[in-house]
Amino acid sequence: MNISEAKKLKEEAVIKSRMMAKKSNEKLNAIVTLIEDDKCENPNGKLANVPIAVKDNFSTSNIRTTACSNILNNYIAPYDATAIKKIKEAGAVMIAKSSMDELAMGGSNLTANIGPCHNPYDLKRISGGSSGGSAVLVASGVTPLALGTDTGDSIRKPAAFCGVVGTKPSYGRISRYGVIPYASSLDHVGYFTTNVQDAALALEVLAGRDDLDMTSSYEEVLEYSKLLDYEYKDLTFGVIDNVVDVLSDLEVKETFLKLIAELEEKGAKIKHIHFDNDLMKALFPTYFIIANAEATANHSNLDGVRFGVSKEGESMEEVMINSRTEGFSSFIKKRFVVGSYSLFEKNQERVFKKAQKVRRVVCESVLKELSKVDVLIAPASGKVAPYIQNEEKQDELTDEYLIAENHMVIANFAGLPSITLPMGFKDGLPLGVNLTAKAFDEVGMFKCAKAFEDLTGLKDLVKEV
Amino acid sequence: MEKSKLEEYANHLMFRLSDEELASLEDDFVTLSAQIALLDKIDTSDVEAMVYPFDVKTTYLRDDEPDHVLSQEKALANAPKQRQGHFVLPRVVK
Amino acid sequence: MEYQMTIGIEIHMELNTKTKMFSGAPYHFKAEANTCVNEVDLALPGTLPAVNKEAVKKAIEACTALNLKIDPLVRFDRKNYYYSDLPKGYQITQQFHPIGRDGYLTILDANEVKKIGIERIHMEEDTAKQFHLHDLSLIDFNRAGVPLIEIVSRPDMHTAKEAALYVDKLRQIMSYIGVSRARMDEGSMRCDINVSLSLKDSKSLGTKVEIKNLNSIANIETALNYEFERQKALLENNEEIMQETRRFDEKSQTTVLMRQKEGSVDYKYFPEPNIFPILIKEEEINTIQKSMKELPDVKLERYQNQMGLSAYDASNLLSDKELSDFFDEAISHTSNAKLLCNMLLSEVQGLLSKKNESLSTSKLTPQSLAKIVELVDTKTISSKQAKEVLELALDGEDPLKIVKDKGMKQNSSEDEILKLVLEVMDENPQSIADFKNGKDRAMGFLVGQVMKKSKGQANPALASKLVKEELAKR
Repeated sequence: MNISEAKKLKEEAVIKSRMMAKKSNEKLNAIVTLIEDDKCENPNGKLANVPIAVKDNFSTSNIRTTACSNILNNYIAPYDATAIKKIKEAGAVMIAKSSMDELAMGGSNLTANIGPCHNPYDLKRISGGSSGGSAVLVASGVTPLALGTDTGDSIRKPAAFCGVVGTKPSYGRISRYGVIPYASSLDHVGYFTTNVQDAALALEVLAGRDDLDMTSSYEEVLEYSKLLDYEYKDLTFGVIDNVVDVLSDLEVKETFLKLIAELEEKGAKIKHIHFDNDLMKALFPTYFIIANAEATANHSNLDGVRFGVSKEGESMEEVMINSRTEGFSSFIKKRFVVGSYSLFEKNQERVFKKAQKVRRVVCESVLKELSKVDVLIAPASGKVAPYIQNEEKQDELTDEYLIAENHMVIANFAGLPSITLPMGFKDGLPLGVNLTAKAFDEVGMFKCAKAFEDLTGLKDLVKEV
Repeated sequence: MEKSKLEEYANHLMFRLSDEELASLEDDFVTLSAQIALLDKIDTSDVEAMVYPFDVKTTYLRDDEPDHVLSQEKALANAPKQRQGHFVLPRVVK
Repeated sequence: MEYQMTIGIEIHMELNTKTKMFSGAPYHFKAEANTCVNEVDLALPGTLPAVNKEAVKKAIEACTALNLKIDPLVRFDRKNYYYSDLPKGYQITQQFHPIGRDGYLTILDANEVKKIGIERIHMEEDTAKQFHLHDLSLIDFNRAGVPLIEIVSRPDMHTAKEAALYVDKLRQIMSYIGVSRARMDEGSMRCDINVSLSLKDSKSLGTKVEIKNLNSIANIETALNYEFERQKALLENNEEIMQETRRFDEKSQTTVLMRQKEGSVDYKYFPEPNIFPILIKEEEINTIQKSMKELPDVKLERYQNQMGLSAYDASNLLSDKELSDFFDEAISHTSNAKLLCNMLLSEVQGLLSKKNESLSTSKLTPQSLAKIVELVDTKTISSKQAKEVLELALDGEDPLKIVKDKGMKQNSSEDEILKLVLEVMDENPQSIADFKNGKDRAMGFLVGQVMKKSKGQANPALASKLVKEELAKR
């Protein structure tokens, strides 16, 4: 069911959703905590009776909030994130806290402390991450809506792998208050739906200025779901050639280029954009260095003193060291060391600040091209979802990996609204396309997305397990 | 990157790393060097470091009126150890 | 060998706001543990800082009072380190862009006006409070997040006296303009002092020693004098001064080693990503500056030049904000500043200490003190009578009512007083004789007798005059 179907079903929607959640979880492993007692608080709200899954980095009052990290395994938040307050005010009903990469620091959902999350289209494959659980719950039809976060592509990549719509609005469009951070200057709150109309509606509920978040935007919140009318001839799509050129999977390339041709046939304008290739290859390192550094500082509050899992020790230092050693996985600890290294006074100029400068060069370059088009468009990934077992350490330095698998981070650098939606299938596995618009032009983004969705006819795709 | 240096870094972050983790971390630093090399290809002379996604200034400041406090009970609800309304640790100052 | 001290002082002051620097939790100094906290102060996962408008206002006022250049773009940075009293594992401070730079204040040292440079003022947040039991430490996060300003002086002080005067002046200014309670004994003002010794006329400075745990201005002077002797002795013995942190030990009145300084700590400062730069418009800064309370130096001048008070009296009034606030209110109801000042500084203070009260706990109002001053000024009552009235006014009674009820109006009728004078003269022939024989005190005795006979209501000046005249006749 999508959002309007859920609203029609009223209480039935929640009952059905809870049943499906329990039935499918053994296969999917997308749920950290089942929420059995949440109710609709506003039968007249925009999301009345809509079942919703919430990524486990959103603080939910009186409900366990773990970010899939052992150090928070027993943490019960005493307050609600602003986004949670908003969905509750709109009448949504929480079904589950969903799985994620530990502390949102991953792209596969394999690092969750509860084990990997499985792709409903092929249980042997990853969902993608870090918002894997939320993507899976929408893709498998458990809920029509699920909250997530996107720091490098953590909504938009799993959306592609799972055949759903993943929306990351502009930076500050949705309040981050109450969301366990990864990298503060790159984190965005977003969500999954099965179609673009629902995505537009969800934004009406979630968006808005929040004085508790000093980076939240004062931009007017529009009735996005009513502003989806378009004409192909009025739309300009900017194809990122760097991404297309580097694709090794020709079927993916074909699928994408065919759709671009169809758009053009319908009257849309197509521009081809070629960024400096060295700049494109620098995207991932820039993201990784900035994100690790900010994350290391952000998680310094996880020390076993005031909350969370705490281990014994003979001194304050021992308590902290023991708690953090056991509470964080190896993967996280190593990333923290690298992150901390880049912040040392003697290294900052060469590492952290250098990355921050490259970020600006990227943004200037992107904004220049974006000014000539409505959206940038490229395949969200050059591949279908990889296998869980074969998730060997990616060769993180091939051009294809650097460019095709990391271009979406551009929208995090510049705070641009960006959406991934289904563009086709390969061997029964979903492929996704990514559209990125100008800052606070969610209207333009949704119009282009709707136009694309209407072209493919791929909407409300659900793969029940 | 020497093992002892890596141990020192971990220590400053208040955790320990096993020998296995330390060995694996050395690889991560090799990767970091390669990543820095990719960054160095980009000319950033006269470019200011970018801290925020937008270069926007805010004028908002919060009014100095109490608006929200947790009860002592709620504040301590997640405390691993508590005593007489306080959080507890082994004696900090020797 | 003549040595010179070079002293730099870092002061942390708690700002007098209702809520914390970055959260809307209230702060009460004596509240029960962990009752003035919310999720932001505890640094629970997912929380974000929201900057306190009043804290910024007070920081701007502090910069203005100390002549600093104000940066209208407020920016914050993270100072990263781990400690049990630092919930986030970093402190939000202003490392790279302090709100004020390059100011000064002036001190009066033995009639010499000296200018002490102030390098910077920046805003930051306070840490939690810890109590240490035998084997445990208990942590109270009420204080965590309280707004602070850090005031860093230039190393412009060279004697313990100068340092003490600097700290006292700062305390006075900040409490006067309402920026901070500035109480060293309460912890709303904390001093860390850096001191080094070098040969007089030497261009280079010696090794810096940091001194902490100074809870009073007297302790600052003692500590620095002790440090001077300690370091001098070492240098004269050709021994090295170690770069270390020492604490002042109250009991022994000396400084004691706390820890050696092992290289500098790397705090990995970087700009706070959760707070966009905040622009304070010029009009806002002007408004804040215009509505600031009067600075003590300005007040001092006004007391002396406009009201004719002596420098001594004026500075006594200024020594206590409560006192000068009271005076400022009272002077709007009477014109005799000198009399008001005298009464306030001697009679009122005397009565208060006798009753073990303070101005704020007594029921005396500025208006009623002013009334008493007026009564004396118009010679309606004598100063002796005024003392009686004052004692009752301290309990809240209205002076005019007291005078009426007690029929206290001063007698200034020459005829009536002369009558009493003649009576006293007749009753005390021995005193007259004593006076004639050179005992001047006898005259005072006779005047006293006249006052006694009149039950204190005779105009003393008049009584004195008439007694003198009569004595001259005999």
